[in-house]
Amino acid sequence: MRRDEIQRQVDAVRAERSELENHIIDEYRAGYIGRREFIRRGTVIGMSLPLVGFLASACGDDDDDGQGQTTGTEVDTSDIKKGGVLKTGILAPASDLDPIVVNNEGALAILGQSGEYLVFSDSTLKAVPRLAESWKPNRDGSQWEFKIRQGVKYHDGKPMTAEDVAATFNLHADPDSGSNALSAFTGVLSPGGAQAIDKSTVMFELDAPNGNFPYSTSSDNYNMIILPKGFDTKTWPKTFLGTGPWKLEKYTPNVGVTYTKNPDYWDTARQPLGAGSEIKFYEKEEAGILGVQGGEVDVLAHFSPVGGEPLLTDPNIQVIELRSSVHRQLHMRTDKEPFNDKRVRQAVALLIDRENLIEGLLEGKSDPGNDSPFAPVYPSTDKSVAQRKQDVEKAKQLLSDAGKGNFSVELRTWNGFEIPPYSELIQSDLKEAGITVTLDITDAGTYYGDAVFGKSPWLDSTFGITEYGHRGVPNVFLGAPLKSDGTWNSAHFKNKEYDKLVTDYVAALDLQSQRTAAKQIQELLLDEVPIVFAYFYYYLTATKPNVAGVQVSAMGHVDVVQSGEKA
Amino acid sequence: MIIFLAAQVLPGDVARRILGPFADQRAVDELSKELGTDQSLLAQYWDWISSFVTGDLGESAVTGRPVSDVLLDPLVASAKLALLAFIIVVPLSIAGGVLAALHEGTGRDRLISVGGLSATAIPEFVWAVLFLLIFALWLGWFPTTAQPPDGAGLFTQIEYLLLPSLCLVCVLFGYIARMARAGTIEALEADYTRTAILKGLPQRTVIRRHVLRNSLLPTIAVVATQAGYLMGGLVIIETIFNYQGIGLTLARAATQKDIPVLQSGVLIIGIVYLVATLIADILYSVLNPRVRLEAAAE
Repeated sequence: MRRDEIQRQVDAVRAERSELENHIIDEYRAGYIGRREFIRRGTVIGMSLPLVGFLASACGDDDDDGQGQTTGTEVDTSDIKKGGVLKTGILAPASDLDPIVVNNEGALAILGQSGEYLVFSDSTLKAVPRLAESWKPNRDGSQWEFKIRQGVKYHDGKPMTAEDVAATFNLHADPDSGSNALSAFTGVLSPGGAQAIDKSTVMFELDAPNGNFPYSTSSDNYNMIILPKGFDTKTWPKTFLGTGPWKLEKYTPNVGVTYTKNPDYWDTARQPLGAGSEIKFYEKEEAGILGVQGGEVDVLAHFSPVGGEPLLTDPNIQVIELRSSVHRQLHMRTDKEPFNDKRVRQAVALLIDRENLIEGLLEGKSDPGNDSPFAPVYPSTDKSVAQRKQDVEKAKQLLSDAGKGNFSVELRTWNGFEIPPYSELIQSDLKEAGITVTLDITDAGTYYGDAVFGKSPWLDSTFGITEYGHRGVPNVFLGAPLKSDGTWNSAHFKNKEYDKLVTDYVAALDLQSQRTAAKQIQELLLDEVPIVFAYFYYYLTATKPNVAGVQVSAMGHVDVVQSGEKA
Repeated sequence: MIIFLAAQVLPGDVARRILGPFADQRAVDELSKELGTDQSLLAQYWDWISSFVTGDLGESAVTGRPVSDVLLDPLVASAKLALLAFIIVVPLSIAGGVLAALHEGTGRDRLISVGGLSATAIPEFVWAVLFLLIFALWLGWFPTTAQPPDGAGLFTQIEYLLLPSLCLVCVLFGYIARMARAGTIEALEADYTRTAILKGLPQRTVIRRHVLRNSLLPTIAVVATQAGYLMGGLVIIETIFNYQGIGLTLARAATQKDIPVLQSGVLIIGIVYLVATLIADILYSVLNPRVRLEAAAE
């Protein structure tokens, strides 16, 4: 097509787009954002993938980075055998499978097999339309209009409606429902904030402007599978009701689930290749590792770099790795000795040898952290902020300036994941400047206690390590653990300037504004260091070498719809 | 009551355990109200015990499923594993013990006694890892799990349960064989054995009728005490082999502070111990006429 013809079409498209959409197109044309980020950001504010794909080609260079499909990440299915049953190992759900209470990786992986979200946050953090066809914000991002896909049926044959979508959101936003998603909706969406304004449209009236709201409706907010209005969620484990590609055949608690193909699945481009799917639960990661090595399962949805070392070196195993925002927060009480002096906190951050941590402990499967929740995987992270590195001499100087020579401090945490060896590395690194760290490593129940201030070592300890899972956007990490009124603020960090910057960041609709706020937040946190963010480790999945098409998200969703053994 | 009170000492409340540390406190309060864990300890205990005496074990605090459903499958699973381990270890270790006793002081005796004790001294998780590495991963003879697929037949179930059973055999063999050996040596030195030999009975008959019958008495007591362990104490083996037995179920209940499941499960394990001891007593009286005669004289 001729260049002037393309330009004419682009102009025609732009004339119909909102101010915000045009702003993002301008950012892309001016080179502020790359093609991949343009596609990702475009989808977040509601531009359809075909449209954003066209604009990416028309307004930028011609290189194709594999985007542009309709409702999912494209998979080449030509060399995959059809009709088989793939076996996937996951960690056993640690809670009931009631979508209201689900709060762990095993359980959320189950929700996502038969249930579906308005939006799917995929492995590249792109917002992919699922039960929502499209969405768009108003001028300041305080209202979002979602167009709901028509002709979708639940497994019991009843149609999925806009009323169902509004009811699902209002249920989870209601404190009386006891929903686990309430933390994500606090300050974002109140009960009654979602309204079906016609049979195919749901309008969300937010508590405050929010540029990343589509992620709150997505698989990132994993409780939010769409269910019929008035549905008793407690009965969900009996039916696994949803609109998804897999229908429940049999569920054996603590053992596993078998699924059959949903013959009425709406997405013609994403029909299951297998005749069914089988999920097997593993109580511990080690058993899952043996399971995939021994051929008991074809896919192990998730393993850690520390426990899963045998898989990383096994030539008979294929490893899928995703950069993620999974991290550990090393908090220091900013209101208590010895960390009430920021020079001491800076010294601690400077003593930690991140390179050794990543190469030695995490087998290199991690991005370095720079003492803020802005993981390198986030497009809004400002990469120009200098990376903090180990500097023992500078740390000693800071401690000397603060008049804190040799001191002792207790580090409290729990015995999960790689946290115990991480604690030992911190203990060893801090010793170099004469800081004696005693470790108090308990079980998770003891560490988290009642999870409220005054009744929880997590929130009350002077020095502690807490684990945080992946999120597609950093909003949650910026709020509860760091804002002055944050309910997970274990560092007791209170900084009005920070609070304001976070409000600006959350409200920002375009990437440039987000990056501007992000840079200021990153620099402020790098200076104040209420929390050390030393690394963001990769989400690792193992498959047998003859398996193809497995899709995972760092949140813990595993999608084997377009997977199978290679032909 | 002890279990109930002990469970209260565990930190954190049930609703918080269910919803996780990052859940909103309002959600936790709502769930506590729904579960009844916001009531006083006395009220909670009364609720449980008054239902329990009527045969109602209540519902799991975590999953909401009836406790009887939660415990039934794991109990059956544990019974299968225990049975297979018993079928292998009891005759094997008795035979080993008797053989060692009959060849007391010889190389064969030392091999069985020292080998058995050494195997017992090695913790079960070491055996489990070794067996998994050798027989499941390297040789590929056995599955890496003990949990058979749905609808598996008897032989498939045995195939899946064999590796964990062999771990238990390693752990128990030395213990039971030692008791069988000691009992056999004692019986071999007894007057009645000497009399039987002197009156010209063949050695095989002496051993079967006089020695074995008496030597097995202490062994039976040991085997009975192991029945309870095999039914409820295999948390590590069940975890490594990803086997949904009662030990793993109770360990999970303790971690999640699922008190209804924990209380009923512990009670059931207690009953298993009682029944095993009762069976041992009955067997004891069958094998030892003195017990029967003393009981009859009273």
